[in-house]
Amino acid sequence: MTHLASGLQGHRVVAVALGILGWAAKFVAVVLVISTMSFLLVRAAPGDPAQVMAGQTGAADEKMLAQIRQEYGLDQPFILQLATHLKRVVTLDLGQSYRQRQPVTTLIGERLPATLLLTGTAFLLALASGILLGTLAALRAGRWSDTLLTVVSLILYAMPVFWLGLMMVLVFSVQLGLVPAFGFQTIGVEMGPFGRALDIGHHLILPAISLAAVYLAIYTRLMRSSVIEVAQQDYIKTARAKGLAQGRIIARHILRNAILPVVTVAGMQAGALVGGAVVVETVFAWPGLGRLTYEAVLQRDYPVLLGLFLVMSVIVILLNLATDVLYRFIDPRVTTQAAG
Amino acid sequence: MDTLKAFSRHPSGMLGLVILIVVVALAVLAPWLYPEDPWEMIGRPFAPPFSEGFLLGTDTLGRDVAAGIVHGTRVSLTIGVASTLAAVCIGVLVGAMAGYWGGGIDDVLMRVTELFQTIPGFILAILMVATLGPSIVNVIIAIATVSWPPLARLTRAEFLRLRGREFVQAATCQGERPLQVVLGHILPNAVSPIIVTGSLTIASAILIESALSFMGLGDPNLMSWGFMVGAARTVIRQAWWMSVFPGVAILLTVLAINLVGEGLNDTLNPRNARAGRH
Amino acid sequence: MNRREFAKLLSAAGVAGATDIAWGVTRAVGQTRGGTLNTIIQPEPPVLVTAINQQQPTLTIGGKIYESLLRYGIDLKPMPGLAQSWTISPDGKTYTFKLFPNITFHDGKPCTAEDVIFSCTKVLTETHARARGTFLRIEKAEAPDPLTVVFTLKEPFAPFINSFDCTTAPVLPKHVYENTDFRQNPANAQAIGTGPFKLKEWVRGSHIHLVRHEGYYRQGEPHLDEIFYRVIPDAASRSVALEKGTVQLTQWTDVEFFDVPRLSKLPNLEMTTKGYEFFAPHLWIDMNNRVAPMNDKRFRQAVAHALDKKAIKDRIYFGLGKEATGPVSSKTRFYEKDVKTYDYSLDKARRLLDDMGLKAGAGGKRATITFLVPPYGESWQRLGEFVRQALGRIGIEVVLQGGDIAGWGQKVSNWEYEMTANLLYQFGDPALGVTRSYATSNIRKGVLFTNMAGYSNPAVDKLFDEAAVATTDAKRQELYSQAQKILCEDVPVVWILEQDFPNFYDKKLKNVITTGIGVHETFGSVSLG
Repeated sequence: MTHLASGLQGHRVVAVALGILGWAAKFVAVVLVISTMSFLLVRAAPGDPAQVMAGQTGAADEKMLAQIRQEYGLDQPFILQLATHLKRVVTLDLGQSYRQRQPVTTLIGERLPATLLLTGTAFLLALASGILLGTLAALRAGRWSDTLLTVVSLILYAMPVFWLGLMMVLVFSVQLGLVPAFGFQTIGVEMGPFGRALDIGHHLILPAISLAAVYLAIYTRLMRSSVIEVAQQDYIKTARAKGLAQGRIIARHILRNAILPVVTVAGMQAGALVGGAVVVETVFAWPGLGRLTYEAVLQRDYPVLLGLFLVMSVIVILLNLATDVLYRFIDPRVTTQAAG
Repeated sequence: MDTLKAFSRHPSGMLGLVILIVVVALAVLAPWLYPEDPWEMIGRPFAPPFSEGFLLGTDTLGRDVAAGIVHGTRVSLTIGVASTLAAVCIGVLVGAMAGYWGGGIDDVLMRVTELFQTIPGFILAILMVATLGPSIVNVIIAIATVSWPPLARLTRAEFLRLRGREFVQAATCQGERPLQVVLGHILPNAVSPIIVTGSLTIASAILIESALSFMGLGDPNLMSWGFMVGAARTVIRQAWWMSVFPGVAILLTVLAINLVGEGLNDTLNPRNARAGRH
Repeated sequence: MNRREFAKLLSAAGVAGATDIAWGVTRAVGQTRGGTLNTIIQPEPPVLVTAINQQQPTLTIGGKIYESLLRYGIDLKPMPGLAQSWTISPDGKTYTFKLFPNITFHDGKPCTAEDVIFSCTKVLTETHARARGTFLRIEKAEAPDPLTVVFTLKEPFAPFINSFDCTTAPVLPKHVYENTDFRQNPANAQAIGTGPFKLKEWVRGSHIHLVRHEGYYRQGEPHLDEIFYRVIPDAASRSVALEKGTVQLTQWTDVEFFDVPRLSKLPNLEMTTKGYEFFAPHLWIDMNNRVAPMNDKRFRQAVAHALDKKAIKDRIYFGLGKEATGPVSSKTRFYEKDVKTYDYSLDKARRLLDDMGLKAGAGGKRATITFLVPPYGESWQRLGEFVRQALGRIGIEVVLQGGDIAGWGQKVSNWEYEMTANLLYQFGDPALGVTRSYATSNIRKGVLFTNMAGYSNPAVDKLFDEAAVATTDAKRQELYSQAQKILCEDVPVVWILEQDFPNFYDKKLKNVITTGIGVHETFGSVSLG
């Protein structure tokens, strides 16, 4: 018995290990392809970064240009530059920023927490309230509150993220003065760690809601239709016939199954969420990767742009993976197999 | 005709259609409604709505906001439709090849599609417009590039479903060439879901365009809604009307297209009606 | 009498024996010692060593850390800096500077004539493109004693005396930089200068903290204990920080133009546009003189008549600036006001176009021109939109072309453009900041901020050449006046605005703007109350 169990165990370990290996191989492939693609795209564009750097000093001459080109390896053949770039990516060295003269990893590292905080909060906010509101709407299908929720989510879904953000600034900051309009934290005021956390949270409210709104709308509608669909399945009817309490049916059977498509879609939307963060960060002057992207685009800071593109893609891949794991965790069929 | 009848009985679809007709009418009638160039600085800067003969006020340079919105309709619709057409072409081509041939080709094409779905689309669009230069053509190319993968997946799924059907196999057995089979038998039967997804793609294309323009990556010669909101951001304390009205225009247009798209979905594809759009 | 006036008196008298003046006594009565100044830096500079990077933010902070031989008043006349006195030989070739005694670097080592010579002849000629043009003219640099610097030039160069502000000729410690790669020297992170403030801490993305340099040679200075330069990337947040008093000083574009009227009304704030005279940013519409129809001066004159400079000033720059009349800013030296001017007149513009035979075709269109929008922010975008509408009225269709900084720089410097806008500094002397845009010798493909329009006129070249080496101001004025008259007739570019930038500061803050480089100054004499 024990022997059999451990054998099974070993088999499962191997399967899991293979899965991880396969995933890792795919991950590396995607990273390399994305790096090559973005490198080609960025280099195909007109414009000489050496000139920008020289021009920013207010005066430039040929000597300085040559110096900068040499310093940044811009005088090397194209294919060599690509090779250097890929080699660096593999060793997690994303090069030096042209403008800031700092390692790209440092720059991205500085901005990453703000973006993770914003996207993470928005993601959880959208998912949690979407599931809650969608369930409520489904339970009240056809009543006025359901209709209202449907209308609101339709409108949110059609709203440009940046405009929603601005309107909230207009109402809640400019008119009512309830929350800060811009920025990440109050500048120039010393406060303890707890006060600082509260302060950042206060600044986070509007950006997080702006970013979450559209996904909230999507998840609400999806959850609503999913709950309605599951509720009509035979096994739920059976459960009802067996006389199980309504609350228990909803919690144990309907929700668990109805959430699955929402989680799937949430995973698929991860890329859009990260993209939306760029706009939201621009509106709210949120010091994250999105603003860095915008600045790097204007400055044509190649290494930073390439690094950002890569890091944001990796974030998306990881979010996909996370929802995948979450799916397996929730999916009753998977759980049943493991238990049986 | 049955479809039309069914659609006319779809209340939210009809509401969307009515709004959409108004928007299209504005686009068509723009030169008559506001013959003046929307860029023309014809008034005092920062005139509030309903003052000095300006229905929706003026902007920082004294340009008529209402004229800008009406002319902006043309830009948004043009870019929305053109980029969607391009995305449909790419998506259907890729999806059809993958679905019809299957095997290795399918594998490769789907890997590419997956890759494009992994990359954050809006960021790719920013990168493309920034590097290629902000012009209407480049904006259309960028939006099409990030919009085709769902269409490709949909088309592939339809082709996989239809490929094994009897009438298709019959056509193949009768010696029709692959192109004939695809164009004559498979595609016509896959058209309605493609239309539905396509119409929803127009809405998201308009949103992407407005976000690009908002970030200053729109065509500088075209008055567009996103550009207007972007130019209004910094002066939001001084002139709320500059950001409110163009945003409402985007909202209504996108909403209308979504409603029409859903209406079409319900009437054209009754089998998966109400199953959501994802 | 405040210190600036006093210093002016000293230099006006050509003082030689002022060695023993104790600077402490010139302090305005009642200035308090101590306190913290909070201000803004944007964008965050890459380094603080002004010798190797001359971007605006670097210069602003670096100005507190690095000093040069001289300072320049609002009128751009030289005042003592590290040098307490100076003489120029009658032939205009030998410059002798006497340093103050007891100048020390932040690392405690003394600063002597050797450091000055090393910085000017070894470092700056290598790392500072603007300074290179000036200091390569030095034939011989000597230090007869540790407090005396003697520069002998190959030929007279009048602006030489205007090249010793801290943004052009910062003095670096020789003992740190000698025989090293200046750009890669690890000491760059520490930024060792002689200024009244030294770098304490730099938290990237947050703030740069400067503290008092205890060994500063000017007794009693600095008044402030410390300065915090806070990085606030967002314009709206910067305005809020100023309103709430979290920062007491803003400069350049920290406050957006549209916010200036509102903030100017706040009771606790003072606003001045002084302190940019050395830079004197000059805004113009650049036209590629090689391309038809812009190769015809009548066309350029028509453009000058078609652009309503006052409307541009009021609508786009919210009144910040003064309409420009020619290539030299009225804020700097050798300005000539008696030149041909171009009033806003569409009729005159149309007549000029008719004269040159550029008739209106179908739809009233005479020509189509592409305007490259400089990618530096919203006001540039608005300017492009304004130019398009204005020229549209005289039948010139303008197509705006956007892009990023690299694309713009490449197209303009390689002459692949038709029309664009530009903002250039004048650097205190026409030979440094004006000649470069119009001289035939400075038509250099691929290099930004040269004579990109490709204007070439032997008469102007000759006048500029002579004015650069003339040794009296009267002679120079005469030559520059002639050059300005010719240029205003030819309008190689259309000068729009002597752009002003607002400095906002808390009323408690004293002596903020005292020289022609304003906020880039050392701030040794700035005090809170």
